[in-house]
Amino acid sequence: MTQTVSLGSVSLKVEGMTCGSCVQSIEQRIGSQPGVIHLKVSLEERSATVIFDLSQQSPESLSGAIEDMGFESSVPNGSTAT
Amino acid sequence: MTKHEFEVAMTCEGCSGAVTRVLNKLGDVKFEIDLPKKLVWIESDREVDVLMETLKKCGKEVKYNGTK
Repeated sequence: MTQTVSLGSVSLKVEGMTCGSCVQSIEQRIGSQPGVIHLKVSLEERSATVIFDLSQQSPESLSGAIEDMGFESSVPNGSTAT
Repeated sequence: MTKHEFEVAMTCEGCSGAVTRVLNKLGDVKFEIDLPKKLVWIESDREVDVLMETLKKCGKEVKYNGTK
């Protein structure tokens, strides 16, 4: 039996990170959300690139989860790809 | 209003900024942050658990030191 999962990837803008520990806490917290397959947070580019399961997460829900942590996050226009 | 002292593992302004923003979102609280001492004082009528959960949203380690 095979299970098909639709994956999506998005680069979210993240403002308010200033050091490695901010990056780490985002990676830990967002990385443990259901449906998040892979996560790369860049301090220099102020972005978080996420590969996720489309049935469990959306760019908006991921951005919301980052905002919930106290950082500012936004979904860049037209960056949602499958 | 009761004043609670929390120890939050903050390491930079980004961390304390995140704490500030989650507490502001909670609303109805007064707070002070001492970054070098890693302490957060919160004046609020809310339950300690609620404050604790809010602070934990930042992804940092939180310890409750009691009321001041």
